[in-house]
Amino acid sequence: MNIRARLLRWETLLLAMLVVIAGLNIAYSPFYLGVGNIVNLFQLSIEKIIVALIMTLIIICGEIDLSVASVMGLASCVTAWLFQMGWPMPWALVAALAVGGVAGLINGFWTAYVGLPSLAVTLAGLIGYRGVARILVEDRAIGGYPLWFNNLGQQPQFGPLTISIVIFLAMFAIMAVVLHRSALGRLVYVMGNNLQAARYSGVRVRRVKLLLFVASSMIAALAGLLYAARLGSVRGDMAQGFELDVITMVLLGGVSIFGGSGNLLGVGLSILVILNLRNGMGLADITGNTQTSVIGALLILSVLVPNMARMIHTRWKGRET
Amino acid sequence: MSWTAAQQRPGGAATAPPILEMRGIAKRFGATQALDDVSLTLRAGEIHALLGENGAGKSTLIKIMTGVYQPDRGEILLSGQPIAIGSAAEAQRHGIAAIYQEPLLFPDLNVAENIFVSHQNRGVVTNWRKMFREAEAILATLGVTLDVRSPARGLTLAAQQSVEIAKAISLNVRVLIMDEPTASLSAHEVGQLFRLVRDLRDQGVAILFVSHRMEEVFQIADSVTVFRDGRLISTRPAAEVSPQSAIADMVGREMGLFQRRAPAPKGEKLLSVQGLGRTGVFSDVSFDLHRGEVLGFAGLIGAGRTDIGLALFGIEPATAGQIVLNGKTETIRSPRQAMSLGVAYVSEDRRQLGLSLPMSISANISLPVLSRYLTRLGLIRTSQERDTAEGFRKRLSIRTPNVELPVAKLSGGNQQKVMLSKWLNTHPALLILDEPTRGIDVGAKAEVHAMIGELAAEGIGIILISSDLPEVLAMSDRVLVMREGRQMAILDGGAATSQTVMTAAMGQEFAA
Repeated sequence: MNIRARLLRWETLLLAMLVVIAGLNIAYSPFYLGVGNIVNLFQLSIEKIIVALIMTLIIICGEIDLSVASVMGLASCVTAWLFQMGWPMPWALVAALAVGGVAGLINGFWTAYVGLPSLAVTLAGLIGYRGVARILVEDRAIGGYPLWFNNLGQQPQFGPLTISIVIFLAMFAIMAVVLHRSALGRLVYVMGNNLQAARYSGVRVRRVKLLLFVASSMIAALAGLLYAARLGSVRGDMAQGFELDVITMVLLGGVSIFGGSGNLLGVGLSILVILNLRNGMGLADITGNTQTSVIGALLILSVLVPNMARMIHTRWKGRET
Repeated sequence: MSWTAAQQRPGGAATAPPILEMRGIAKRFGATQALDDVSLTLRAGEIHALLGENGAGKSTLIKIMTGVYQPDRGEILLSGQPIAIGSAAEAQRHGIAAIYQEPLLFPDLNVAENIFVSHQNRGVVTNWRKMFREAEAILATLGVTLDVRSPARGLTLAAQQSVEIAKAISLNVRVLIMDEPTASLSAHEVGQLFRLVRDLRDQGVAILFVSHRMEEVFQIADSVTVFRDGRLISTRPAAEVSPQSAIADMVGREMGLFQRRAPAPKGEKLLSVQGLGRTGVFSDVSFDLHRGEVLGFAGLIGAGRTDIGLALFGIEPATAGQIVLNGKTETIRSPRQAMSLGVAYVSEDRRQLGLSLPMSISANISLPVLSRYLTRLGLIRTSQERDTAEGFRKRLSIRTPNVELPVAKLSGGNQQKVMLSKWLNTHPALLILDEPTRGIDVGAKAEVHAMIGELAAEGIGIILISSDLPEVLAMSDRVLVMREGRQMAILDGGAATSQTVMTAAMGQEFAA
């Protein structure tokens, strides 16, 4: 069985799960199919699923970025802090994006140019950027932003859709083209498959890695600002722990944690599966803790099932010969 | 610590009782017969040298003795009793130990722990004092002074070798295999090591000594066995063997296995290398290469041939010397830069360094020059990629149903052709081929050889690094011979024979 066939099978499985979950939701709740509920279903996790798109590229490239949630927190805290200092809101937002870019440069420099494992580098980032965020806003909740900023996160701007959802849909399309049609996407796969072979083929592997980490942090910063707009206030622990949900979405989408394989269609389906599962459980009054356990179980399955299948497959082959 | 000592020596070797007898051993890997009906006897109190070119079967035999591989046929007798060596642990129990070029110590454990690492029953609480005492006792019998409490990290290579030997002695070693133990030692350290080895011999240990250094072999060995192409060619007392006769046994195969390439007319000078070196790896390499010329790089594995290729391709840039390409002095710092100068390097390790196995043939071929296949928006024109791949599929007769197939699905020979296509697609002026026919079948080999001839005829300058001596001789206009990071000779087509090349590669005085 070739890799493509296996991946297709994984996506088929996700699609089947999605159909079953949606079917149950429709059967159990009359509210499920309403436009309001569908928009709400996306809106509640919109920041995470935006970050999951770039995380897909990072993991396929054989790296990981654990610092995304801290960068989300840092970006919103930088904005809040500057706004309090009297900066106009637009400038505070631009500054927050720039801070995100710097965080990405730091992650990328240590990973790509010094050669440390991204797991360690971005773990340090997770702690360090969160620390800076907490220093900036201390133990307060900073609110009172201009109305247009809050509306950005809370009011539909495009028909029933909020700007966050439009950004997500646009980014999904862009990332799909980048990953599956562009030179950068090709290099991401090559590097994830075999970094040495990429280097021996003259690929500027360090530059590609740096670019990915900068993109990851800047998108995380944007997601953090959208989150701040949605909540209308900012605290030091904003988005804490989000990185795990983001990585869960990517891995459940069939992206190999070892890099080199996976695609955006799978991640898109996995996002739909998780959101619908949470939404359905929410409508059925299942508590948040149980929801988390169910999604944890799903992740374990997503890692176990393909590996077990491969193991059984090779054992079987070994017996034949 | 005790072992029954003192078989008398010297001269007693030939009559001493055999300890380990290998009878009719055969081992096959795919299409390669690594060992073919090999019978070798190791006797108590004898140092037995094993010689042979790369791929002659020495390593395979050692791995069978140490339980890493199982032989397909043949039997192994220990003191006259047939035994099976199913694992490294079993080899240890039989008293068979091996020492390699790079000692395999645990750097963070102390010397005593390293000596007893595989067989000390420590119980719940380690009796450190007893362990240190015993370790010191063993080292004392070797006449080595080392602090048994210090970690192995930071010991000199020679000291690490003595720890390995102490480890072997603590296992009641009866057969000690030494696989190029001197390759990274200084002359003084070699002297120390040899004193230890002679002591062990005098205590009745059978020693198998593998080395590429002729002078050392004749300095220490009691008998000499030569392997060639998986067969045992000769076993003789050292006194009856000369370096020349040993080399003749090592290379004495039929020539004409490959058609010798007709020498093409030399073009203008393409590359001139002066005093090239990289600290600690190779030094003082100088040669010229003309367009349309094939320059062979011969030498044993680890002689530094690949490292020269890596320096020219910018993977591991040179630290000394000068590279003049097309009349311009260049400092090559990255593969990207090397490619822009028209240098292509086809790696010896196609699985790890050469190809992205899960990706398609066409994606692999376009990778180094991907920018050629992009639209203005940076998207890949896959149809153009396919056209290129189809072209190479015809030109090199790559056998595949289509060029969208993952490279992993192809045979070794076809993978090699994909790799060659990938680099020909960069339109190189200088093509460095590192072991281009390793592990591929005879038919594919002949095709690759024909390709090399065609490329040279088109005016590409080719450096052919190969451990396959007949191949180097058949394909090259001239042969550069390396040994331990130094350039030994550049032989012209006429002067390059297996005898002269091997003589230089083994570090013998070169008379001609």
